[in-house]
Formats: sequence, C-alpha cells, structure tokens
Amino acid sequence: MAPKSCALCQNAKAILRRPKTGQQICKDCFFRVFETEVHNTITEAQLFKPGDRVAIGASGGKDSTVLAYVMKTLNERYQYGLSLFLLSIDEGITGYRDNSLETVKRNQQQYDMPLKILSYDELYGWTMDRVVSTIGKKNNCTFCGVFRRQALDRGAASLCVDHIVTGHNADDIAETVLMNIMRGDIARLGRCTAICTQGEDTIRRSKPFKYAYEKEIVMYAYFKKLDYFSTECIYSPDAYRGHARAFLKDLEAARPSAIIDIIHSGEAFEVKDEVRATQKTQQTCKRCGYMSSNDLCKACSLLEGLERGMSTAAISDKGRRKLEAEGPAPNNLRTIPYFRPPTTVTIEVPAASQ
Amino acid sequence: MKLKIEFGGGLELLFLNQRTHLIVIPSTVPQGDKNGQPGQPVDINFLVHWLKDNLLKERPELFIENGTVRPGILVLVNDTDWELEGEGGYQLKEDDEIVFISTLHGG
Amino acid sequence: MSEFCGNPAAETGEALMPTKPKFDRTRTCVKCKTNSGNLVIRHSVYCRDCFTPLITTKFRQALEPHINHVSTGPRRGALKPSGGLLVAFSGGMGSSVLLDLVHRIYCANVGSDELKGGREHPRRSRVWKRIHVCYVKTSDVFPEINDQTAQIREAVARYEGCEFIPVRVQDAFDRSWWERVSGDAASSSAEIPVDLNDGDSEPIAALKAHLRALPTPTATQSTLSTLTRLLLLYTAHSIGASHLVLGTSLTSLSISLISSISQGGGFVVPQAIQEEWISPFVKRTPETTSWSGEVRLIRPLREVSLKECTAWVWWHQLSVVGKQRVPISERTIGSLTKDFIIGLERDYPSTVSTITKTVGKLAPKGKSGMRCVLCELPTQQSVQGWKARTSIHSFADAPSPADVATSLPIYLCYSCQTTLTSKSSRSTTSLNSGSLSTTSAPDAMDLPTWAAARLAFGVGIGEEQSATTSTSTNETRESRQSLIKSLVGEFLLDH
Repeated sequence: MAPKSCALCQNAKAILRRPKTGQQICKDCFFRVFETEVHNTITEAQLFKPGDRVAIGASGGKDSTVLAYVMKTLNERYQYGLSLFLLSIDEGITGYRDNSLETVKRNQQQYDMPLKILSYDELYGWTMDRVVSTIGKKNNCTFCGVFRRQALDRGAASLCVDHIVTGHNADDIAETVLMNIMRGDIARLGRCTAICTQGEDTIRRSKPFKYAYEKEIVMYAYFKKLDYFSTECIYSPDAYRGHARAFLKDLEAARPSAIIDIIHSGEAFEVKDEVRATQKTQQTCKRCGYMSSNDLCKACSLLEGLERGMSTAAISDKGRRKLEAEGPAPNNLRTIPYFRPPTTVTIEVPAASQ
Repeated sequence: MKLKIEFGGGLELLFLNQRTHLIVIPSTVPQGDKNGQPGQPVDINFLVHWLKDNLLKERPELFIENGTVRPGILVLVNDTDWELEGEGGYQLKEDDEIVFISTLHGG
Repeated sequence: MSEFCGNPAAETGEALMPTKPKFDRTRTCVKCKTNSGNLVIRHSVYCRDCFTPLITTKFRQALEPHINHVSTGPRRGALKPSGGLLVAFSGGMGSSVLLDLVHRIYCANVGSDELKGGREHPRRSRVWKRIHVCYVKTSDVFPEINDQTAQIREAVARYEGCEFIPVRVQDAFDRSWWERVSGDAASSSAEIPVDLNDGDSEPIAALKAHLRALPTPTATQSTLSTLTRLLLLYTAHSIGASHLVLGTSLTSLSISLISSISQGGGFVVPQAIQEEWISPFVKRTPETTSWSGEVRLIRPLREVSLKECTAWVWWHQLSVVGKQRVPISERTIGSLTKDFIIGLERDYPSTVSTITKTVGKLAPKGKSGMRCVLCELPTQQSVQGWKARTSIHSFADAPSPADVATSLPIYLCYSCQTTLTSKSSRSTTSLNSGSLSTTSAPDAMDLPTWAAARLAFGVGIGEEQSATTSTSTNETRESRQSLIKSLVGEFLLDH
C-alpha cells in the first residue's frame, strides 16, 4: 500500500494515527498540533500573565514530565513570560517514590528548572509507608490524596508561586466526571471540569492538559524521547482498575471522541441553584488554616486519627463525629503547621530541604 | 432430588423453548464433579452448571458468566428472591421451585 | 493525580467502591413488617403483597404531579390533563409494565359509582379522555428483524380502552406522514419542495441512505433513538395528546443518561429524564399559561428498577412480546454502557439510582442558542468554536462566516454534530446496511422531514441563520431547495 501523506501538511509521510481525531499525520505535525492545542487551552482560559511564577507538580511520571517539557517549550515559543519551577512531593514510599524522585531530579537538569521537594515526613511526621503499616491498604489512597493536596499548596507557598499546574489529562477528567456521577458527589461534579480552581486561601491550580488524551501524552513522550518513570503506586488497590476507567477505555475504543465528549458534557451542566444552596460553605480549618468545609480540614482530621490511634475514624463524616465524641485532642499531638497563602508577608514553612 | 425449574424473559429460548422443566439432580455433588465439593449438598451454583451442561442448548454466555448466573437474571427460589436465600450458596431441597427470569428481554 | 500513583480517584476520596451486604437486617417485609420478604429492592426487603402497591405508588408519584398543565401541588385538586395520553410501547419489559399500570390505574374500574375500599376514588375516574398506544417498528429497514406488529397489536388489544397506533421508523422520511402529523401549525405542507430528499423519494431508501452516511455504529444507534423519540412526539401532537409516557425503568434511565453524557449531551441531560416539547411550527405567545399543544414526555417507571419490572411481569403473569435488538455491532456506546450498568447494578445496586438522582440535580449551564433541527433539544452557543479549539483538524485558516452559515452543523446540537461527524478507528459507515455501495459517499444526506422543513422555512433557527425569508414564491422555493442541497452536500464533503 502506498504510504499516505500527512493529513495536516499534505507533505511528509504519515507515520502515526492520532488517537484523538483519527487523522494520519507526520511526526512534526503531531508535535505541532499537540502543543498548539495546549497553547489554545492556556490562552482561551487566560491562565497566566507575564511575570507569573508557576510551579509544575512533578512526579516523574509521564504526565508531569511532558507537562514540564511543554510548558517550557510554550513559554519560550509564545513568550508567556513565566518563571517555571518543579515541585515534587515525597510521600515516603520506599522503592516507588525514591525511584520517581530520581527522575524528577534528572528533569531538573534536563529542563533547567529549580526543583523543590517537600515530604510528608517533614510536613506531617508520617510517611505513607508508616500510614499503610498502621491502617492497611484499604483507605490509604484517601490519606495520600488529602495529604498531597495540602503538601502541594504548602510547597508552592514556600516558593512564592502564583499558580500550580498539574498534569491531569483528558482521560482523568472524563473519568472523574463519570465517577462523581456514579458516587453522587454533586459538589465535586460541579467543579471537576473547571480548568482552573481557586479557593479563598489556596493557590490557583490549573490543568493545561485538560483536553490532551493520555495516549497522545505517551506518544509525545515517546517520540520526543522524554525521560519518565512509569509504574503504578505499589499501594494501589488491585481491584481499582475494574470500574470507571475500564469503561472509559471501552468507550474510547468504540468512538475516540468519547473522552472529549464527556468533558464537554461536564462543562455543559452545573448544579441546580436550589441544590447549591444546601451545600456546605467553605471555611478555614481551625487548626492549620487550610480551606475546609468543617471546623477541621480533612488533613488535620486524618492526622489526628493517626496520632490518636483511631486512624480510619476521620474518613467518613460518621467516623469523624465519633472521633470528636471521644473528646478533644490532647495538646501534645503532632499537628500540621499553620498555613498562610503566599499573599501575606510572613510565611511559615516546615523545615524544608532542597 | 426432584426440582421444578422455570425460565422466563426469553431464557426459555435457550432451553428447548420450554418454560417449565421437571428435573432430577443428584442430592450431593458427585465424585469428580468440578462444580462443587464432592459429597457436599448441592447448591444453586451447582444447579446452574448442571443446567448448562445438561439442558442448555445454545449461547451459554447468556446464562452463565464468571461461574455464576449472568447479571441481569432474576432468580427466585420458591417465589423468593435468591438474595434473601444466600444466592448461589443456597442449598437445594426436594421439590424446590427455582425460576430464572432474564431482565434483559427488551426493556 | 493520576501521574503520582496511577490512581485518579486518590484525591477524590475512596478509591474503592465499597460493597455492602445485599440487604439490611431482617428478612421481614419493611412495609407491613409482618410477612416474610419475597424480594430485595436496593437493600430493602418486601413481601409479594406489599410489592404491588409499592410499584403503583412510585408510578403515580412520578406521573401525577405533572398531569395538570399548571401544577397545583402534591395531591391537591383533581387531575385534569389538557389533552389525551399517548403510551409508547416497544414490546419490551418496561413498556409491558407501563401499559399494565396505566390500564390498572386509569382504565380498570373507571366510572364505577361505588367507592371500593378507597382505591377507586371517583376523582381518578376518567383522568384521561383518550388513551392511545404507539409502537414504532424498525423491521422494514432491517431485514434481520421480523415484523412484530401483529403480536404487539394483540398484546395491546388485551387492554380495553387503549387505541393502537402503529408507526414505522421510516415515516420520519415520509412526506405524507409529515403532512398528516404536522397539521395546520406547520407552514402549509403543500409548499415543501417535492424532491426534498435527493434521489429516491421512498422513505425506506431515504432512511437507509441516512444511516449509510453515518460514521459509526454508535451513531446508528443514537439516530434510531432520536428518530423514535420524535416520531412519538409528533404522533402525540397530531392526536392532541398532552402527555407521552415511556416505559423507561430506573436501570434503562441510568443507562441512557450515562450514554448521553458520553456522547456530549450534558447540556440537555435534564431533558433526558423528563421533557416538555412543543412542535417548533406552533406559533404561541410566550407569556401564555394555557396549553398550546405542549407534550410532556414523562417516564413514570423512573424509580422502578429493571429487577422490579421483572418481578411485576412474573407475579402478574404478563406476557412480554419482547423488544428486538437492532442488528448493530456490539461496540456502541449505548451497548457498552448497558453492559457496564447492568453489571454495576448487581454488585452495587444503589449506584444505579445514585446516577439518576445526581443527574436530576443538574441544570444546563449557559444560554441556549436554538433548537437542534435533528433532535429539537436546546443547543448551546458556539459549539463550533469549542470543538475547533479543543481538537485541531486543520492548520488552514478558519472558514469565512458565509461558509459557516451554509453548513449543517450550526443547526445541530453538540450530540447530533458528534453523531454525524465523529469517526471510529475502523469503518466509517454503519455495518448493517446490506446495500452498501462501494463507490463514492452519497453526495447529499437525507434529513428527517421535521429537520428539512425547518431548514426550508427558516423555522426557529434564528434570523441570521435563516436561509431566506419565508415568503413562498416559486423562485424562492427553488433557491431554498438548492440551498439545502448545498448545505448538506458541503457538510459531507468536509468530512
């Protein structure tokens, strides 16, 4: 069969089929179209302004490595005028995180960006290894997710950045839309397709890869020969991959646009007014100042549970009430340092190391 | 033991197009049978496999999936939801009436 | 964040979906607390005696608050619908239960003078002046399917007081059907250009051509669903029905909601549950509170799971004709969703009702542009712009406004656009047309009569998008006709 020419430039030989659109295109056009779409995402949403300091949540995995590379490329090509930083979180998982951190350190060299690493140990006094050995593998992902979210904000605050970008891709967002519907999480459903989230006291957080297919990120990394570490967290529950993700992949196989169609759906609806009125309003945590729907933020509740030996109590609302019913926390418990967003003059940081 | 089996919702098409079947199955799992512990009393899981091996004429995947009844099939044991009777582990008794109805028949 | 550990749900809480025991506590019926239970419905146990009133209550709660044109509050005042009732009947499980319940509640013992045990309250007698039952058959278009009309007719005939209306799916492309149902409200049907459907004017051929031009099996399934819905709505309109009821169960509803969301239908997802439709050709004053011919599409079984429908069929000895599967390849978004939800329902029964509840709390975001010419649901503004930004298909300059104005997609909602253009990696045509031509793609796409009529007469498609004014001279008619041809032809050439 005669080699086809690229559907975009009609010139070079087509060497790949684009997962997102099915077009057969050449390598250079793929790079161009991938990068341009991310650029469109950024400019349409007006994410940045010149002079912004932007932290890239870097795990060493494909999404964040490609994100760092693309941000650097676009920053130079289109003169966004941004100062870029790599921000990495060490959850303290032996054999997994130490490997990916090596990758991030290499990225720092390759992309010539400052790197900050913040660990759970220094921030909370607990590594994930220790959490898992205490509570087992059932709710560890809840802990890790909550701890990481705060850790990123604190790390960014210590760098005085205006903005955090994460490598969430289209597949992640589509899956989150489906899962929030299936779990009835109406609050998250109303927010999950927003490209940029900002709380009162938290740093702006965006997802430039919102419309980028995971397969294309992998292809981009492959063709650009980018260095990344790819493996699943060793504490990931085995049964996880069963549900929404597998379904999403099946949908994509039936019709590749399904992923972006789901995102479009997610952007096309919002929570009804009368329902929104009943939702909890945001306050700040009494203990550490981070944003919260209750008196204590999730991280502080979870940490208190760990420290008091009732580790899984804080996972559910019922459990938390039980925790509170046990009486106030003793004074000598380890707590999370008070959080102030970067707009204030003094910033309290835990003893951080570079 | 004697059992009365009924199929509905289109499942009868897989079983000789016959809605009602009066069958006789062993009361305990025979030796060498792979569908249960030999010597143990027979349960619904055993029955399901027995039906597949002995009565089912075509398309087993519409009846059995992953070693048990396919999702979307309502099972009644003596007019009672099998979920109330322990599902696949319910131990069969003489003259029990087991009904399998597919919910996927159109709808 | 997925790249941190491979688990995108980590931040959102429990990554595992918890399995609960199949039912709570005891085996005694939770309603009468006396009898031993016979059925588990989402963790609650019911006995057979309590099951029947449970279902009829759910049915009435879903339907009756919406019977009066202006709601008078729950259980307040007589039920006085503006028009008749049309019952959609596919022959499937849900339809069979629906028809049985409609008859049981609104026809049986109606007009009886005595009060019988409080159930037959005179207030409920003759709620509906006329009840029709409509069946849409697809067997003319798919030779693999047998014509079940006779069995369906027989099944409906068992219910006295229900008049049967058979409809054929190809009627959507039949000019004479359109003349009958669109009534006075449509611009006089004599004005519709004779050869509106390019080439063969036979409805079956037109429908087949339309299906052939679709890019994926998913598109075929969605298209048939849309055609059926509009055939039912226009039928309701033509017989003066104010209410159209469908036998969509809780399970089927969750399936169609997720399926719709997966095809980009988030903007209209509230209407996927319940819809108020009026023919775009009806002129009505916006401020009026009286009935102008609106049809309310209601799903009274939306709280009744497929399992409960099955139990009803079994315990009330209904005979179900069965809904035939249209021969489309398995891998459609609709069928994948169905397998997913059915599997989910077994292990996590509350998930299915959570889906419907959650979607019920959603509203469309942003203003609507106009009504899609294909599905007549509200479209969003600037769908083209969104698509162009998020997926680059070409590096050429953006088409001129004039070009854009003559292309079909701007008259379509996101879902319909996606249906007509989004390809899969494999074939680009649907797999079930036996007469697939191996030569070039058809140079014009046949449109359903309601779509063609709207485009021809510029009905409800906005001043600036309207092709010409709606005065009807021969000359104008010709230019309209050629516009339609260029419109659809251009659209296909682009893809």
